[in-house]
Amino acid sequence: MKTIRVVIAGVGGQGTLLATRLIAETAIKQGLNVRIGETYGMAQRGGPVMGHIQIGEAYSPQIRPGEADALLGFEIAEATRRGVTYLKQGGLAIVNSKKMPPVEVISGMRKYPEEEELIRLLKRVSSRVAVFDATKLAEKAGDPIATNMVMLGALAVAGVLPFGEEEITATMKESIPARFLELNTKAFRLGAEAFRESK
Amino acid sequence: MLLMGNEAIVRGALEAGIRIAASYPGTPASEIGNTLAEVAKEMGIHFEWSTNEKVAFEVAYGASMCNQRGLVSMKHVGLNVALDIMEMAALRSVKGGLVFVSADDPSQHSSGQEQDQRWLAKQNCVPALEPSDPQDAKDFTVYAYELSEKYQLPVMLRTVTRVSHMRSNVKLGKLQKLEREAKFDFEQFSYVVAGFDRLFYGREREANEKIAKIKVEFDSSPLNKLAMTGKEKVGVIATGQTYNYVMDALVKLGAKDKVAVLKLGTSNPLPEGLITKLLKGVEKILVTEEPDPFVELHVKALAKDANPRVELYGRINGKLPGEGELMPLTVDGVIAEMLGEKLPANPRADVEREAKDMIFGRMLTVCAGCPHRPSIYALKRAVKAVKGDLHKIVMNGDIGCYGLAWAPPMSYEDTYFCMGASLGVSQGMSQVGVDTIAWIGDGTFFHAAIPALMNAVQTKTNIKVVVADNSVTAMTGFQPNPQSGKTATGEPTKSISIEAIAKAVGVEHIEVTDAYDTKATEAAFKRMLQTEGVAMVISRRICATEAIRKMRPKRPVPYVVDESKCVGCKLCLSTFGCPGLNFDEAKKKASIDPTICMGCGVCAQVCNIDCIHGRDE
Repeated sequence: MKTIRVVIAGVGGQGTLLATRLIAETAIKQGLNVRIGETYGMAQRGGPVMGHIQIGEAYSPQIRPGEADALLGFEIAEATRRGVTYLKQGGLAIVNSKKMPPVEVISGMRKYPEEEELIRLLKRVSSRVAVFDATKLAEKAGDPIATNMVMLGALAVAGVLPFGEEEITATMKESIPARFLELNTKAFRLGAEAFRESK
Repeated sequence: MLLMGNEAIVRGALEAGIRIAASYPGTPASEIGNTLAEVAKEMGIHFEWSTNEKVAFEVAYGASMCNQRGLVSMKHVGLNVALDIMEMAALRSVKGGLVFVSADDPSQHSSGQEQDQRWLAKQNCVPALEPSDPQDAKDFTVYAYELSEKYQLPVMLRTVTRVSHMRSNVKLGKLQKLEREAKFDFEQFSYVVAGFDRLFYGREREANEKIAKIKVEFDSSPLNKLAMTGKEKVGVIATGQTYNYVMDALVKLGAKDKVAVLKLGTSNPLPEGLITKLLKGVEKILVTEEPDPFVELHVKALAKDANPRVELYGRINGKLPGEGELMPLTVDGVIAEMLGEKLPANPRADVEREAKDMIFGRMLTVCAGCPHRPSIYALKRAVKAVKGDLHKIVMNGDIGCYGLAWAPPMSYEDTYFCMGASLGVSQGMSQVGVDTIAWIGDGTFFHAAIPALMNAVQTKTNIKVVVADNSVTAMTGFQPNPQSGKTATGEPTKSISIEAIAKAVGVEHIEVTDAYDTKATEAAFKRMLQTEGVAMVISRRICATEAIRKMRPKRPVPYVVDESKCVGCKLCLSTFGCPGLNFDEAKKKASIDPTICMGCGVCAQVCNIDCIHGRDE
């Protein structure tokens, strides 16, 4: 099997880690090799975070620039920041349009770039970009904290992974505490729907 | 099973039958302790978050002298704190296997420096093992216990961030319980029984002799693997995690049969026989390691006898950068160069530069609702009011979330160095006539500040101490500390009071305030600044992230901006700058992101036209 590589980009506190783990655990259940590298800064929240998932044969925990089959961007500026480096030409970017302004923007030192500018830049690497407001969908599901499941749902139906919706939701049932399962499953479904509609 | 490097170390220690484990949290080591805290009860072992790394090491060493296996873990700089006892354990020997993890952090992802702790292993005759991935981390840990007991030496398991936080499938072995009787070995450790001279003198020679034997053993150890046919002109010594980069590079370059590779898992002592064999067989050799040229320097020395004409590539001759993590592309490039090939330049350089210009760096800041933000806000106002100018006093910070006080828009913290240093350096400044504030968190206070506080009282030094108390060790993931009233495994215990300690050591001016009440906190800071001698304010409020965790699945009720009142002055953004605040450029009004706001309401105190309200107000 060809190695599948996915980069996840977001901001601390967005739950990128849980999304990464659910993908990895699903892959392992299918008997596949997984290697994950994660970069998170000092603070629990607010800093940029990035996860690299490789399914299949891989040594390094880091994906080399220009080799990611897909980018899962939990925050739009972080999506472009990582996408221009890691996404392969013609790779798929799934982007949450949610803006999380950092302290530079909040305190007036910098401007937050326009959504169109960010997407235009990302499209110079690959034209396959799906953008939607995943955080709003998570709110619709019951809690913005479930943004990660919306993103995961979109990736599940995007045809990038060697498994799909059913396999991932089965892992969710095993790994997510019962009292949070309904919210997460709802968010996951909304994400899958949003991706299908974005085409 | 999918395991993170840090979890794999715990698994290895449990397979080796540890009886005890102790740690102090610090990235990238923290998940070792977090995992132990979860499983300790079930596994019937003792685990503790010790007050600091030195105590942690001593706890495990004590058990080792009673023939029990123990694990100590810390981030690299934690080993500096534990160095006194680590050195003693190496010299006086161990009995039950004693393995300690130094989780190094090349490129300083979450550290003040990237100190390479392998030098300390070398300096103290301690074997150092370097796993390349979670499977190695598990397997090497199991082996480390055998090695430790065979040679009666503590063993360093040296990881780097990329291994600590890497996750992959790990093949597990069997969990083991050793059921050894805990018995202090008087013959081995008691001055009275063993004799003072025998225990005290000449131990360096003994340690050197042990290392000489281990060196030979490492030549045939499965931790080191030499893949060499004898036809290669190029060789690589791939240390620890960098082995992954080297193998990916060889796959990419299609050069597996052109390059001999020594996967090096033992960096102290080095397997000199294997390295000599490789040196003799090739014309060019590359050493990959992180972050210092520790192995490379020794290889250079070995080459003098083995093959003086070999061309050495690495950090010393500048083919690789002199510091920091290695990047996969850098390793690709240098191996290609050794093979006489050239890789194309980065085709994305333009678009990457544009993205860099367009997108902010995303500076770190404390969380929405973090109690440190209002503490800093109030402190800054108090200093301005009492001193007139922020530069009339030096604000010495310390290690923890509150260390981010330097970041905009607060931008109020002049220095921070290492655990507890705020109190010490403040005293030196004060002794020579420069006014100071020591700004320290609760966890750091317990870890390293108490001797310095006693020092200030005894020497009658005029320092002001602010304890930014959020009641957990937040930066590393909410581990309990001595005031939490619970042990690492969640058992209730005594809560140790910071103010009681301060009082006991003779601090006369002590006030405790609620960090969310900015007016009261500012007033307390003013009184502190106007008091002669050692004066302390404890600005207390539970960590916001911890508070939200405890409230789940309920959500905090966010505050809102009354747009009819907001005049768009941006005061809340420019002086307070909570990540929950935002500015709507179209409407020219401040706004609050309900997905981020945690409902602390402090921004409502900052607004001077009263336009921010709770939902039900």
